[in-house]
Amino acid sequence: MKALVLAAGKGEGLRPYTEKEQKEAITILGKAVISHVLYGLKKAGIEEVVIVTNEHEKQIQDAINVDIPFETVRQKRPGITGAVLDGMDKIPDDEFLLTFGDIIAEPEFYMNLMNSYITGNSKAVFSLVPVSEGMQTYGLAKIVDNRIEIVNEGSTLALAGAYIIPKGDFTDILEYFKKISPFSRYFIWSGKWIDIGYPEDLINAIEVLLSDLNNSIISDKAEISKTAVIGKKVIIEDNAIIDDYSVIKGPAYIGKNAYIGNYSLIRDYSSIESEAKIGAYCEVAHSLVEPRAEIGSKSYLTYTIVGREAKIGASVVTVSYPANPVRGRERKLGALISPNEEVYHGQIIGPNYRK
Amino acid sequence: MCGIIGVISKNDEKKLATITVQCLERLEYRGYDSVGVASMEGNELEVRKAKGRIDEVVKRLNILSMTGRVFLGHTRWATHGEPNDINAHPHTDCTNSIAVVHNGTIKNFRELREDLESLGHKFKSETDTEVIPHLVEEFKKRGMDSFSAFKSAINSIQGSYAVLAIIKGENKIYFAKKDNPLIIGLGDKMNFISSDIPSFLPYTNKVLILIDGDVGYITPDEIYIENEGKKVNVLDRIKIITWDASAASKEGYAHYMLKEIHESPRAVDDTISGLISDIEDVKNAIKILEESKRIIVIAAGTSYHAGLYFSLLLQREGFNVIPVIASEYYNIKTNQEDSILAISQSGETYDVMIALKEFKANGSKIISLTNVIDSAIARQSDVKLYTRAGPEIGVAATKTFTSQIAALQFLYSLIKGDDYTYLNKAKDVIRRSLDFEGEAKLIGEELSAKSNAYYLGRGLSLPFAMEGALKIKEITYLHAEAYAAGESKHGPIALVEKDFPVVFINLGELVGELQNNVQEMKARKAKTYAISVNEKLNTDKEILLTVEDERLSPFAVTPIIQLIAYYSAVKRGNDPDKPRNLAKTVTVG
Repeated sequence: MKALVLAAGKGEGLRPYTEKEQKEAITILGKAVISHVLYGLKKAGIEEVVIVTNEHEKQIQDAINVDIPFETVRQKRPGITGAVLDGMDKIPDDEFLLTFGDIIAEPEFYMNLMNSYITGNSKAVFSLVPVSEGMQTYGLAKIVDNRIEIVNEGSTLALAGAYIIPKGDFTDILEYFKKISPFSRYFIWSGKWIDIGYPEDLINAIEVLLSDLNNSIISDKAEISKTAVIGKKVIIEDNAIIDDYSVIKGPAYIGKNAYIGNYSLIRDYSSIESEAKIGAYCEVAHSLVEPRAEIGSKSYLTYTIVGREAKIGASVVTVSYPANPVRGRERKLGALISPNEEVYHGQIIGPNYRK
Repeated sequence: MCGIIGVISKNDEKKLATITVQCLERLEYRGYDSVGVASMEGNELEVRKAKGRIDEVVKRLNILSMTGRVFLGHTRWATHGEPNDINAHPHTDCTNSIAVVHNGTIKNFRELREDLESLGHKFKSETDTEVIPHLVEEFKKRGMDSFSAFKSAINSIQGSYAVLAIIKGENKIYFAKKDNPLIIGLGDKMNFISSDIPSFLPYTNKVLILIDGDVGYITPDEIYIENEGKKVNVLDRIKIITWDASAASKEGYAHYMLKEIHESPRAVDDTISGLISDIEDVKNAIKILEESKRIIVIAAGTSYHAGLYFSLLLQREGFNVIPVIASEYYNIKTNQEDSILAISQSGETYDVMIALKEFKANGSKIISLTNVIDSAIARQSDVKLYTRAGPEIGVAATKTFTSQIAALQFLYSLIKGDDYTYLNKAKDVIRRSLDFEGEAKLIGEELSAKSNAYYLGRGLSLPFAMEGALKIKEITYLHAEAYAAGESKHGPIALVEKDFPVVFINLGELVGELQNNVQEMKARKAKTYAISVNEKLNTDKEILLTVEDERLSPFAVTPIIQLIAYYSAVKRGNDPDKPRNLAKTVTVG
C-alpha cells in the first residue's frame, strides 16, 4: 500500500519559526518530525510514500533519513483538500493511507491502523484520539451506531490524523470523510501521540519520546570526559563531546557531533541535536536545540526552542512563566528562536518570546 | 463470534495437529466455550470435539495425537444453543465423509433442515451449521462433483458465513466467505486458511485476504478462487505482511480492555434482546424471587458490585435482599424459603460455586446470571439467565459488568411491573458517555500520579464508586478505597490532606447531601472530582453527563469509571489487559 503524507501546512502556531523552516523538517531526537512519521509507516508495511510539499520542498527532502522510497509533489490546489487531491493523483491504488506529516506517534499507531484495515474487511479506517480542550486540529468525531460521525463540537474524540481511505472525487476532505464514514471502521488510539502545532508540542514530544527510556544508550564513539556525570536516561550519539565536569542529568538526548561545554547541566527532557554547541556553565531544561545552533556560556534555557544555526549569546536567560500556552497542562513556555536568528549577550527573555 | 482454521500440508506432517492447536489458541479471543478438530489422512476422516476451553479439551481428547495432512479447527462462543459436545464444530454429514466448520449465522437453516430431513438426512446437532455438510452430501448424491456441490450448498444458504469444508479422500479445503473474515496464509508446502492473520503468522507472512462472495479451495500447493462465477487472479491479491500483525485481533486498539469498553453498547443491547428471547426463563426467575422470603445475592469482585446495585434496588421496594460476598458465605444460613441469585461472568468462579453448593444443599432455589452459556454455575441452577457480552479477554471486567447491570435492571423492571423498553436506550447512553473519553483520560492521568484515592457515593451510586475503586486497584495498582460518602466524618476523612484525590460518583440522586460531602473534602484541600449525571456537584473537575431517563444513569457513569482506570494504568506504563497477580477466571479457593 502507498501512503500520502501531507507536509505543506503553513505552521501558523509556530510562527515566525515556520516562515524559515517547514514544521515537518524540525528535528527531535535526531530525526525530523516527518522522518518519525515515515519510520512508523515503514514499520507498518507501507512500500512507497508520496509527500505533498510547498515551497519548502527541499527542506523536506533533506530532512528524510528513513530508508523508504518517496517522491514529493508541490501543492497546487489550496487547503488540505487541495493537498490531498494533488497527492492522490500520484496514487495508483484504490485505497491508500493518508497521514499528516506533523504527528509524532509510536510505529504501533500506523501498524494498528493497517491491522484494523486488513482484518476489518472495510475500505476505510479512521484513527481517533481522546483529547481535552484546545486540541481539535483535525476535527472531532462521535460514535453513533458503531460508526463515526464527523462533528464540529460535542465530543472529546478527535480525528488522529492517519487514515486509510478510498480514492474519490470531493471538493472538501471533511465532507468526504462524512460521506465515507458510514462504511468505515474506527479505533481509538491510546498510545503516544502528539500533533505538532505549537512550541509546547515540540517540548512535550521530547518528554513523550524519552519517557520509555529505561537505561542510557551511549555511543562508543562519543567522547566523554572522565569527570563528566551521565545520568540514567540519556542517549548520546556518535562523536558527541561531553566536556569536563559537565552533567547530563537526563532524561536527555545529545546528537551526533554535538558539544557540551565544561560545567554545563543538561536535564529534564532536553534534546541537543547534531553539531549543536552548548558553551560552558550553561543549564538546559525542557528545551530543544536544533542542529548547529550555538549557545553561549553561562546561559539558561528552559521550555525553549532554538532553531537550526541560531546563535544565543553568553549569559542569556530565558524565563518560562507565567506563560499561557495554547496546549498542555504545563503553564510554562520559554522562547522560540527561529533558524539563523541571533540573541544578543546578556539578555533576559520573557515567556512566550518569539523571534 | 467463532474462530476457524484450516491447515493443509504436502508432507505427512506429524506436527500438523500441534500447529492446528497453536492456531486455535491464538483464535481463543473469538470464543472459548467449545473446541473441535477434524483431521483427514487418505480415506480416514476423524472428528474430535467437546465443550470446554482449548487447553483442557486438547488434553482430554488427546487431540495432539491426531494425524493427517488436512486439519480443520474451530473454537466457539455460543450465543444461542448451549455449548455441548454435540453442538461443537466440526459438523459432518450422514456418512461422516464431509466435515465443516463455520463462523456466522445461517438464517434459513430451519427450512433447509426440514427439506433435508424429508430427503432422509439425519441431523445430530441443533446448530445451523450442520445443514452445510448435509447439503454438500445431497448435491454430491445428485451427481455433482465436490466443488460444484460445495458451491451449490453455499448458494442455498442465506446469512453470514466463513465456511471451511473437507471431503473424505480429497486433499483440499473448500471455503466460502460472506460478512465474516477469512484469510489464506501461503506457507512452505503448507497452506492455511483462518479467521485472522495472527493465528498463522508464526508460519507464514504471505497472505491473501478473501472478500465477500469468494468461494474456492486450497491444496498444499494451489489456491483457487472464484467470485460471481469468474476465476480470480490469485497472484494479484497476495500480500506480504511485513509488520507485526500480532495485535491484529485488537482491531486497532492498543488493548483489549479499551476495545471491550467500546463494545459495551452492543454487549448491553445483545444482553437485553437475549433476555427477551429467553423471557420464559426470566419469568421463572422472577416467580422464584417474588415467592421467596429472602433473596441472597452471591458474587465476587465486579459481579458483586452489580449484585449490590440490584440488592439496593430491591431493598427499596421492600424486598428482603442480602448481598453476600461469595467467599463469606458461611455467615449466612439459608433454607428452602430463600432464593439465591448467583452472578459470575465466567460461570466458574470457585467461591461462588462453593457457596452455591452449600445453599443448594439447604434446599434454596438457585438462579444464575453468567456470561458463558451452560457454564458450571448455570448447570447448578434452577433457572439459568445470561448476559450476552461476548468473550471478554481483558482481565478487568468492563463490558460484562455493564451487561450485568442491564440484565439486573431488566429483572428489576419486570419485578416492579414496569415497562422495560427504556433499556433499549442504554446503548445510546453508553455511546454518548464514550464521547467524554478525552475528559476521562485527563482525570485518569492525574490519578496515575497519586498513591491513594477515595471513591465516594451515596445510595445507588455507591456500588459504582466501589467498582471505580476496584478498577483503579486492579490495573493502576493505586490504593483506592470506596465508601458511603456520609461515612467520611466517622473516620476516613482523617487521611485527607492537600491534593488528596476524592472521586465522587453521582447518579443524580441525593445530590444535596453529596454536595455537602464535596464541601467537607474541599475544606481539607482535597482535589475533588465528580462523574455526575444531570446535576453538578461543583468539584474541582467534573464530568457532567445528561440522561433523559435517570434509570439509565448507571450506563452513563460506568464507561467513564472504566476509562479513568484504563488511562491511569496506561499512563503508569501498566498493561491493563494483564494486571499482575490476577486471572480472568478465578477457579481456585
